[in-house]
Amino acid sequence: MMELREFNNQVHPTPDYPSPYGSQHSLRLRTVPPQETSAVQFDWASPPEDAEDSNEPPNLRELPLHMGLKRAVWQVQQMKIPVVSSSWNIKQSQTFRRFCEVAKHVLSYFVLWKRGIQKIGGHFGGGVQSYFLFLRFLVILNFLSSLLIAGFVLIPSIVFRSMNFNSTIPTTVNLTGVEICLQYDPKPDTLMVFITYFLDLISGTGFMEYSYLFYGYYTNFNSMVESNGFSYNIPLAYLLTAAFYFLFCFICMIIRMGGTARVAVVTGGGATGGYSALVFTGWDHGLQEDRTTKLKQSNFRYRLQVDLEEERLKKKSASLTLSQTVSLYALRVFLNMVVLILIGATFYGIAKATQFSQLMKTTGFKGLVLQYLPSMVITASNFVVPLLCDKIALLEKYSASTTVILALLRAVFLRLVSLGVLLYTLWEQITCEGDISKQNCIPCNYYYDEYKCWETRVGQEMYKLTLFDFLITIATLILVEFPRRIVVDHCSCKLTQWVGRQEFLVAPNVLALVYSQTVVWTGALFCPLLPFINTIKFILFYFCKKITLFQNCQPATRNFRSTTSNFFFLLVLLFGWMLATMVLLYSVTKIHPSYGCGPFRFSPTMWEVVPQAAEMLNSTSAEFLFYMGSQKFSIPLFIFSCVLLCYVSALTSVHGKSVALLKSQCKLEQRDKQFLVRQIEELNATVQKEQREPQQPQRETDTATRWNQHDNYAFDRDEDPRPY
Amino acid sequence: MGGTASKLPKDLLSEYQELTFLTKQEILLAHKRFSELQGRENGPYSSRVSMEKVLTLPELKSNPFRKRICHVFSTSDLRDGSLTFEDFLDLLSAFSDSATLEIKSHYAFRIFDFDDDGTLDARDLEKLVNCLTGETDDTRLTVEEMRQLISNILEESDIDKDGTVNLSEFQHVISRSPDFVSSFKIVL
Repeated sequence: MMELREFNNQVHPTPDYPSPYGSQHSLRLRTVPPQETSAVQFDWASPPEDAEDSNEPPNLRELPLHMGLKRAVWQVQQMKIPVVSSSWNIKQSQTFRRFCEVAKHVLSYFVLWKRGIQKIGGHFGGGVQSYFLFLRFLVILNFLSSLLIAGFVLIPSIVFRSMNFNSTIPTTVNLTGVEICLQYDPKPDTLMVFITYFLDLISGTGFMEYSYLFYGYYTNFNSMVESNGFSYNIPLAYLLTAAFYFLFCFICMIIRMGGTARVAVVTGGGATGGYSALVFTGWDHGLQEDRTTKLKQSNFRYRLQVDLEEERLKKKSASLTLSQTVSLYALRVFLNMVVLILIGATFYGIAKATQFSQLMKTTGFKGLVLQYLPSMVITASNFVVPLLCDKIALLEKYSASTTVILALLRAVFLRLVSLGVLLYTLWEQITCEGDISKQNCIPCNYYYDEYKCWETRVGQEMYKLTLFDFLITIATLILVEFPRRIVVDHCSCKLTQWVGRQEFLVAPNVLALVYSQTVVWTGALFCPLLPFINTIKFILFYFCKKITLFQNCQPATRNFRSTTSNFFFLLVLLFGWMLATMVLLYSVTKIHPSYGCGPFRFSPTMWEVVPQAAEMLNSTSAEFLFYMGSQKFSIPLFIFSCVLLCYVSALTSVHGKSVALLKSQCKLEQRDKQFLVRQIEELNATVQKEQREPQQPQRETDTATRWNQHDNYAFDRDEDPRPY
Repeated sequence: MGGTASKLPKDLLSEYQELTFLTKQEILLAHKRFSELQGRENGPYSSRVSMEKVLTLPELKSNPFRKRICHVFSTSDLRDGSLTFEDFLDLLSAFSDSATLEIKSHYAFRIFDFDDDGTLDARDLEKLVNCLTGETDDTRLTVEEMRQLISNILEESDIDKDGTVNLSEFQHVISRSPDFVSSFKIVL
């Protein structure tokens, strides 16, 4: 016990609390019956430390003392609180704090899937848990976005439609020459067989096409609804909601990224302090079962052995001969070429499939397959190519961590760019390869014959991708994962034992989420209910993944560092967001909206409604808005943000320098300490030698003065590094 | 639950809330679990539960550091690792979700400091690594590997080069590995 106390004193001298330590001795040795602690003898005569300069007493929970001590200190604190003047403040701050705690507690009831995610963390560790946290973040994001869209677009549209406003062509618009483009008749059949109904449901055609699901159904209601002096501009609302939706998602991501980035920057990219961090922080105390503990231990052994081996290899490879190095690099270059060819072939396949399925006109089941062809090709390639990439990455002989990152990067590249290829193919066909003077695009500025309402077609494409992704996940769950588990559990032949139970791989799963979120963003303008559909999809995902995790998976044999990857995932999500934003910006500002459908039928571009609406405001606010949009505003803003950036980066470098300084100071002081310890040891030796000799009082005082001298000396030495 | 929960006096409960990172529900749950361990309902809060009994908790049972955890949080004079209810709350508070990095790293250090001498020296590190990899002979690292590992660890984290890792050096390492807060966690 004593030793522990000293340990406390010497290693962790909590500066806020000098006085409790004074009486710690007596407290420690008592078995503290709680009621008597008020009788603890504190040094009342001592000046009330820090009481003046800090009204808020330091939080007792944050002191590493045991409960009896903390309670004693707390009771003293309670008594010490002066009854005059500031007590009201303290009381208020205390009530406020308590209120905050209660609020936090109440809020914690509303945290989605708290227990479930905690349980997952307990059984499968932090890495898998981070996947589910990410999923939860996306669910909440999508849910809030669908509320936004419902509130500003969907509900007003339903209300106005029920009030039977007619969509008339405004007289101001000159439509000569483009009358042909106005025809759009999605012709929902009244008589349908069930199979058509089903086919329509999953491909978004027929009765689905002309519904609130897609862009085409939102007409412009004479562009402005006015009743009783109340006006609501649906096209403007539609556009601004989409814009705010993107902005909202962006802000949410940035906030979340800020947290993880801070962490990732602090860790220095996870590269520093490899072994010590692994050993000191590696154990997950949340793990509960014996089986998982054993597995975690063998993980550790494996990982340490691999790391140590790797280090030895690295030392060896430093002494590699020139020809060996050359051949290794040649191999890597060759394999990278292979990967590029693979990815290129995939893109070509996706482009071909999209063209093919857009141009074919077949109905029935064959039509459905054709409709889904792009989604199928994308999903298949996303399944096969990463597998190949993983295998190739093994041949490249990079270090383990580089291998993982490389495989991930390739997968990300494939996922996002394949979506890009799909969109590009669509764009090529809608806008006649960007050349509106071509014959197909002559009267309407887009390929009218094929795309009567091109926005709806893009929306349908995204809807299909979303749905197909979901169906595939469910299908793999039922057709692959459960059978695999059953076979592995009930058959003991070598092959099945080698295959083993499935492992939950975090990275590919997260990438799948990122991909489907990107699809949703891309389609949100053209299919406003997509965020809502996605919310439901992700909620179902949560339950499916949880079931398969507990039923079919074993804890991963490879470790997964959650923090640095969290940042990486959000970065990838941000890339997806950028891709979607580019699509949004391009289609809002460049392509002519369909004449036949949608809220922007008669505007040259979708964006046109915004300046129009701004002109209707009174002159000052209109001017203000135009000023905000002009270069006069944007250039100073740009300059200002550059300056801010410079300032922040300067600050960072200064902090970095001071860290280096402090480190070297730490080293210096330690050297001082060691020096002093050596001095004391020497002195002790001399003192003992003198004690063995017959003592004389004279000599003792001598030693005492020498001690003092040493103290002084020590003090000087201590002072020395200060100005440094 | 209601029966045992009501046994904890209200002022004591609020005091515990003030002094730990636990919420009211968590304290009540801890109290319930602890009185189950005690076996008899009427125990005062200072009565001790032996380490063997505490280690039957499923949350601690398979933890390789379980004995060290009990020793660190025990206030017993006999150094037998037995816990009072308050020690138990201290334990849960340090391992709770909302505990600060500071306090978590402090206790982690003390758990890893097997010989209680205030620094992690090579022997502490060896024991620590053995706990992490499993202590049986076939799960241990070889002597050569262990030597290499420990010299690596000291190389990385022993800033002042005195051959041991002290608390501030330890906290320095911890502060750079943010997974720690989420992994140093035991929830009932």
